[in-house]
Amino acid sequence: MLRRETALSLLLLGLFTGFPAQAGEEPLRIATWGGAYEKVQREVLFEPFRERTGIAIETVTYNGGTEILARDPVPDLVDMAMSESLAACARGKLQPLERLELPPGSDGTPARQDLIGGARHRCAITHTVYATVIAYDSRAFTGQRPTRVADLFDTETFPGKRALRRTPADNMEWALLASGVPRQELYNLLSTPRGLQLAFRRLDEIRESIIWWESGDEPVRLLESGEAVMASGFNGRFFNASLDADSSIEIIWDGQIQEFQTWVVPTGASRPEAAREFIRFATRTGPLTELAERLAYGPARYSAEAQVRRHPEAGVDMRPHIPTHPYNSANAVAKDIRWYAHTLERIRQRFEHWLEGGKPQ
Amino acid sequence: MVGSVEPTAPRSDPRNLLRRVSVVILLGAVAGMLSAIMANGFVAAIGWLNDLLLISPRSRMMEERAWLVTLAIVAVPTAGGLVGGVLHRFIPDQRAHSPADLIAAVQTRQGRLPLRTGLLTGLSSLVSLGSGASVGQYGPLVHIGGSVGSGLARLFRAGVTSDNIAIACGVAAAISTVFHAPIAGILFAHEVVLRHFALRAFAPVAVASVLGHVTAQLIWPQPPLFQIAEAEVAHLWEFILFVILGIASAGVAVAYMASLLRMARLAARTRVPAMLRPAVAGLGLGLTALWVPDILGMGSETLRLAFIEGAFTQWELLLVMTLKLLATAWCLGMGFAGGVFSPALVIGSLFGALFGSVVGSLLGLDVSALVVYAVCGMVAVTAPVIGAPLTTVIIVFEMTASYPLTIAALASVALANLVASRYFGRSLFDRQLSERGYDLSGGRSRAILRTHAVAELLSDDYVTVRPDASAKEAREAIVTAGSAEAYLVDTRGFYAGTVHLHELVAAADTEPVQRWCDTEALSMHKDETVWDAMYAMRHFVGEGVAVLDDDGRLVGTVFESDLINAYLELLEEMRKEEHATA
Repeated sequence: MLRRETALSLLLLGLFTGFPAQAGEEPLRIATWGGAYEKVQREVLFEPFRERTGIAIETVTYNGGTEILARDPVPDLVDMAMSESLAACARGKLQPLERLELPPGSDGTPARQDLIGGARHRCAITHTVYATVIAYDSRAFTGQRPTRVADLFDTETFPGKRALRRTPADNMEWALLASGVPRQELYNLLSTPRGLQLAFRRLDEIRESIIWWESGDEPVRLLESGEAVMASGFNGRFFNASLDADSSIEIIWDGQIQEFQTWVVPTGASRPEAAREFIRFATRTGPLTELAERLAYGPARYSAEAQVRRHPEAGVDMRPHIPTHPYNSANAVAKDIRWYAHTLERIRQRFEHWLEGGKPQ
Repeated sequence: MVGSVEPTAPRSDPRNLLRRVSVVILLGAVAGMLSAIMANGFVAAIGWLNDLLLISPRSRMMEERAWLVTLAIVAVPTAGGLVGGVLHRFIPDQRAHSPADLIAAVQTRQGRLPLRTGLLTGLSSLVSLGSGASVGQYGPLVHIGGSVGSGLARLFRAGVTSDNIAIACGVAAAISTVFHAPIAGILFAHEVVLRHFALRAFAPVAVASVLGHVTAQLIWPQPPLFQIAEAEVAHLWEFILFVILGIASAGVAVAYMASLLRMARLAARTRVPAMLRPAVAGLGLGLTALWVPDILGMGSETLRLAFIEGAFTQWELLLVMTLKLLATAWCLGMGFAGGVFSPALVIGSLFGALFGSVVGSLLGLDVSALVVYAVCGMVAVTAPVIGAPLTTVIIVFEMTASYPLTIAALASVALANLVASRYFGRSLFDRQLSERGYDLSGGRSRAILRTHAVAELLSDDYVTVRPDASAKEAREAIVTAGSAEAYLVDTRGFYAGTVHLHELVAAADTEPVQRWCDTEALSMHKDETVWDAMYAMRHFVGEGVAVLDDDGRLVGTVFESDLINAYLELLEEMRKEEHATA
């Protein structure tokens, strides 16, 4: 729902479309995820955008969550997971982007057909498909190696600490997958009190072995330092670490949880038009391909997926490393973001209660 | 007359045969596609209603206002019951129809499922299922499929045999669609509905089932009832356990079916008006569901959870299974429209899981994953209820594509049907029918003969004499008519007995005829069924039997030859339907 003030300011700002931004203006503030991820974004998106438009970019690092929208000053653009975008959009904290026209793909396919299914939402435009995966330190398992989600919960066969993200999401899905729930039925069963309880009980069984992480670069560090033998994390981060010659990080693609990463513009953004200009720039085939070749995330355009080749520096073929490759996606879970948009807060409360030592309810 | 006498046509020429075959195949194809679309639409509509009315776990979880969720659990089934109760008033016999009615129509060759009843039954079932009543969806789907087939047969102006086949086609496509199981669809139509395997029926039914399956994948595809991640039978000795589980499941099936019938009888005796009974049922169900939400609705989530190790404790399995059984009997008995199949799946899988878990923990045995036992229990409880052991096993095969699981299920089913039929009957449907006077246990011919009354075979070719007539008068009347006996009928038309010519011969002319009257002579009521008439006339010697109305007035006579003719015609019709190739 457009508030009148917003509509008015949009209209006024719309008048300036096409005018090159003046140097010395306030920079465009983008909230993103830091680390190697942000470094690649800077190379592929931020710098070229500045060269082209003269708009400087300042980044704010965050670890996900809609709290970023309450920061002062509020960022002009946020690189946000689709589930959180939906929730924020429903609460009126994001500007609508449905009218934003995106350029066609490099092969001329209109954007509507070039974007992967479900990529656009009222307030969000998907740029990449990333996966949360389980990885392990191959040094820790010299004999049998873990291959399935269930092995994450099998501390007898695969002893050692597990680094998991401090959130109920992903961990609950894995808990049910490990219990034999088919991936298509995860969210229907997590909707029943019994299913939810089963997930928490399953996590409770390995409670003593869990190290909780919050920032996206922690799992790699925990694995490399040997503090954890298995860890959940974003596939791109693990890939990046594995480029290192003596890396011992291996990804288990079984039960990878795919989610869309989107660009959103907060309601209170001071430079919404520049933000839109950036979205148009950043979701073209070229930049999406380049991102995928460096970060190992699936691009949101078919035309980009078809162009993915080798990593520019390491020279490895990137296609087997992106989550949407058929080899990797056989047992992939598509995160049910609509479900999360309405349930995450309540589940998080139960999760926090459990973390503080409560019984799995 | 029982059917018309069709002259046994000489072997028709190939072109004629080809035309007849293509009409039946076309009928099957259209019935299959239509039925599949309607079946998928029905399933989609239930899902939509469940989400809208906060019945599905998913919608309940996603709703942030907890009070609304609690309110819905009680209010929605109650309101659904109210709507259902009102709808039933528009059905001629004031109740929703079930597969039993369809089986009766086909088995007694009465064909023709009335469209109005079919539509209202479908609508009422949609309301029940949409509002969370503990009933099944497959019964209504089978009925919808059959009604579609029957309606089309009328449109094609087909005869009774083709009508029966068309009904079977619709049913096959419905099962094929909702279970994603075309082979099971064909089997179900033959095993439960037609009860014979004539080639003439097989071809159109197979076409309907396959086309239905294809259509359903194209238009409005629905997710399957359940998926199974993986399942292996760990040890061969477990097959002994599967068989034991099957026998125990037969007990559960009998308890389930007996509760259904019992509850229906109890409900009929309550003072609650029939129209309000479903609403009362909904209220009771909703209040119980506040405590145990697993019993609400069709129970897909409960079914799926029963396959998962650790989702229930043993006590919870026992509790939910018992409550689900009672809730289903309560809902159906009190008049909610719906089927018995889906609840049987849920009850059976819970029982199987309970069995597997108790055997595993009590005997300390290292048994296969719980899912194997849950599936065995599911199949072994369901098969006796619907009277279709092969169909249920094939459903498992087609849905899971797991051969080990199918063989395990087969082991459980092997004895389940036999044991259950020993204590209950071939299926719930057959039992329901026998309570309504259609006994299929004595074979189809008996059932058909029982649907016809001797009144249909009446002849007025008989002689009457007044009771006060003289022997001479009676003799002359009988001789003039060229007969051998006469009925004594008074001025008001009441039948008093029969006199036989050979006895009158010895009588003096003036003697009253009454002295020679055989008052014990065989007579029957006009509503007597043809079967009972044949049975009664086994030792009868004479021309015809007097047929009387309710008060004892003579309405006509029935000749032994007409009964034999009726029986032969029926055999011929059945032979044509069951054994002909085209």
